[in-house]
Amino acid sequence: MEGQRELKETELPLTALKDGESGIITSIKTGQGRGLGGSWGFKRRLMDMGLTPRTKVTVVKSAPFHGPLEILVRGSRLVIGRGMAEKIFVEIEKE
Amino acid sequence: MTKRKLVIALAGNANVGKSLSGNVNVFVNRNGQWEVIQLKKLINDMFSSLPVVRIGETDCATSQDLSVVSLDLKTLRTKKAKVTHIFRHREQRKLVQLRTSSGRTLTATQDHNFIALKAGIPEVVDAEHLAVGDQLPIVEKLSFEQSEPVLDLGDYLSGKIRAKNRQYQFSNKFVTVHGKKIPRLIKFDDNITFSNVIWDEITEIAEVDADDDYVYDLVVEDYENFMLANGLFVHNSVIFNYLTGLHQHIGNWPGKTVERAEGTLHFKGHTIDIIDLPGIYSLSTYSLEELISRKYIAVEKPDMVINVIDASVLERNLFFTLQLIELGTPMIIALNQIDIAKRKGVEIDPEKLEKLLGIPVIPTVAIKGVGIYKLLEKAIEVVEKRGKTKPVEVKYGDEVEDGVAKIAKMVEGIQFWYPPRYVAVKLLEGDEEISREVKRIAPQIVLVAEKFATEIEKLHGHPCSTVITSERYEIAGGIAREAQKLVPPIKPPIEERLHTLTTNKILGYPIMAVSLLLMFYSVFAFGNYTSELLSNFFYGWQPLFESLFGTGMLGKLVWGGVVEGIIAGVTIALPYIAPFYLVLYFLEDSGYLSRIAFLMDNVMHKIGLHGKAFIPIMLGYGCNVPACLGCRIMETERERLLAAFVTTLVPCAARTVIILGLVGHFIGIQWALMLYVFDLLIIFFLGRLAFKTLPGEPTALIMEMPEYRAPHLSTILKQTWFRLQEFIKIAFPLIIVGSLAIKLAEVLGLLEPIAIVLSPVTVAWLGLPAVTGITLLFGVLRKELTLIVLATLLGTMNFPQVLTPVQMVVLTLVAMFYIPCIATIAALVREFGWKKALFITVFEIAFAISLGGVALRLLTLIA
Repeated sequence: MEGQRELKETELPLTALKDGESGIITSIKTGQGRGLGGSWGFKRRLMDMGLTPRTKVTVVKSAPFHGPLEILVRGSRLVIGRGMAEKIFVEIEKE
Repeated sequence: MTKRKLVIALAGNANVGKSLSGNVNVFVNRNGQWEVIQLKKLINDMFSSLPVVRIGETDCATSQDLSVVSLDLKTLRTKKAKVTHIFRHREQRKLVQLRTSSGRTLTATQDHNFIALKAGIPEVVDAEHLAVGDQLPIVEKLSFEQSEPVLDLGDYLSGKIRAKNRQYQFSNKFVTVHGKKIPRLIKFDDNITFSNVIWDEITEIAEVDADDDYVYDLVVEDYENFMLANGLFVHNSVIFNYLTGLHQHIGNWPGKTVERAEGTLHFKGHTIDIIDLPGIYSLSTYSLEELISRKYIAVEKPDMVINVIDASVLERNLFFTLQLIELGTPMIIALNQIDIAKRKGVEIDPEKLEKLLGIPVIPTVAIKGVGIYKLLEKAIEVVEKRGKTKPVEVKYGDEVEDGVAKIAKMVEGIQFWYPPRYVAVKLLEGDEEISREVKRIAPQIVLVAEKFATEIEKLHGHPCSTVITSERYEIAGGIAREAQKLVPPIKPPIEERLHTLTTNKILGYPIMAVSLLLMFYSVFAFGNYTSELLSNFFYGWQPLFESLFGTGMLGKLVWGGVVEGIIAGVTIALPYIAPFYLVLYFLEDSGYLSRIAFLMDNVMHKIGLHGKAFIPIMLGYGCNVPACLGCRIMETERERLLAAFVTTLVPCAARTVIILGLVGHFIGIQWALMLYVFDLLIIFFLGRLAFKTLPGEPTALIMEMPEYRAPHLSTILKQTWFRLQEFIKIAFPLIIVGSLAIKLAEVLGLLEPIAIVLSPVTVAWLGLPAVTGITLLFGVLRKELTLIVLATLLGTMNFPQVLTPVQMVVLTLVAMFYIPCIATIAALVREFGWKKALFITVFEIAFAISLGGVALRLLTLIA
């Protein structure tokens, strides 16, 4: 499964991006980790919202104290919890 | 004229109200007799005797035995035509007043349709497109089949024809029209034959204010128009309602649950059922949207689907459109909110989009009624020429297509209610429902699909469902990019700056704190003042009441039980709850609540909830009842329950009265504040405990961050009214029954025995006077009664004389936690069923009593 795939060195979780930085989604980690609603199809939800592989995501802002992230994807502004964002891996876009 | 009942499903919804000012006079045949009557009076009269359906801001009834004079546009002859529906709806816009060369006037909404002679041909145009010089049809004299006389409308309306005139059969009842009394009923044979239609030129068009909250209209069978008493003909109503899903759709808060709404409209001789499927914002995931939509489409088989698309987020909306296309249902697209998209800098070429999708695309601004007429015309056209539209084929990559083709071929061999290609795609995606169903009929197909899916996964390095979703998004993106042009937004940057400021890492929190404090403060200040005013007003009637019913058993029961129950409800609902909701929905509609959820997400996670849960908790400070109902914004049952449990621990307005009135007043405000902080700690502790014990996993926050916008007043009012009604329905009956029961116990002298029965708890364990047993019982009805009844029973408001400070703190603590009040219990029952409601209640009683006892012992030790 994807969760077991080796990550490339250039791949980072979305949470590692600074405000204003963009990345291209490479994978979304699944698995029954604690507390991420894995049983509830969170990946499906992210896909539905347009967070599919090879999609560009921009982190607009992250809330303080490990709060959620505000991101820009496919022309819409979304807020996703940090736990979820940690499971989304991106490759930073080289300008 | 062909008449079919059409069923159109709508993903989203729209409104248009085309109506007339209520004070125009119409010429109608009611119960077999003709009469001239004010439109407003006619419709309001009929509403009082018919079942009225309220759809959004529109009231509608199916009329019986009502006919009008219509104009057959083909022959230009007048006909008697049946009125099928009557309407009225709220209107805040300006109206248009027309004046013709003969001096006739008419007032209608701007988008009302008229029959007018344009370049010699009668056509239907809306008021906005009428110009001075256009001609409207009028009839001056009506001829009836069997009665000789021709009725001169002018003479009749001006009162020149008298009741005694034998030529016409008038009743001796009168109606006033333009200050003139004219006979009310004309007993004609009701067949109207040829009447001479002449054309009357428009000489003046003016904008006027509405003099009534409502505008009115009729729906006429076959001819779609009707004659006013002054002889002018107007086109009838096309009401495309705000369906009940309206609030959810335009509410600036993503992720609400909606129930399916239905409405019926009449258009060009068709009866059209409109089914409102979940809108774009109603469910936070397209999978769920698709699930509901496809079930409906498969089972109910609507004649057509109107897919309402939010033009400002075209790509994401097209993703859903593509899924509808795959379902193979006839559809058209309403490209909605083109105005907002434009402000965001998104310009869409509808013709190009239409070509790319192979589906008719009609640009609309539904909230203003722009484009709706065209949309319906198009919808009917598509239904009548069934199969003529050729939607684009959704083509995936080669590997996927290969699998789809082979699986689809196998599916063709079995009887299945979805198109084979669709089933094939869904099987590859691993769709649970479809896999299950297909497995029952032909398990080998599922096995083949699984094989293909594994292969595709190997090839792409992602699960097959991810591959398909990505590819579908790519197609949507490709179409969107081609059909839209991005230009610099003309949106004022103030919205953007406001967003940046209110979500600022440092400033965001103080801004939130100040906004919320301001909100609480103003609601409480207003509530206190009004509540007192109202209760003084109501209790002012007590002497009169007592003189009527006496102060005997009956009088006591009726006043103390029923009337006081109602007073209690009113003095809470109106002063506290109504303004609370108003402010809350104001925050919601403006988009600020989403920012609060963003800021508070992290804190809420500590008790296993996410940012959205902060809203019901905040609501709880006003009243627990709406707070419990407000927990519906959470996504899963588990979170709804968790959030509801936490909100019942929040000190509501009534508990605030006790905290401030007892501890704050007699011990010191710092002690009262400490109790609040203590309450927060308890909430945190119990919330975390519940979060750990409840099975299931917490969900993370995913929501769309809506743009800030000026709140939509009527939406706010509607939501407030809706919630208030809910509160009244739940709370009032219980408060009244509860009051009655306790009053009965009092009258029968059962209170003291109850106090004695409770004394092991109240006296021995909690160290309180025995009478507190009674007061706590009253507190179940309304928490602040704890204090009021205590004063009555102890015979003093000066509590330090009868209670020690420790006793006061213990009593307040118990009152804070011991049970949600009866109305809150009702709300819990409604949302979660008896079992869970009872469990929460029993748990909180046990918890409060234990806590009180421990507090007593600890405080005594310290003191």
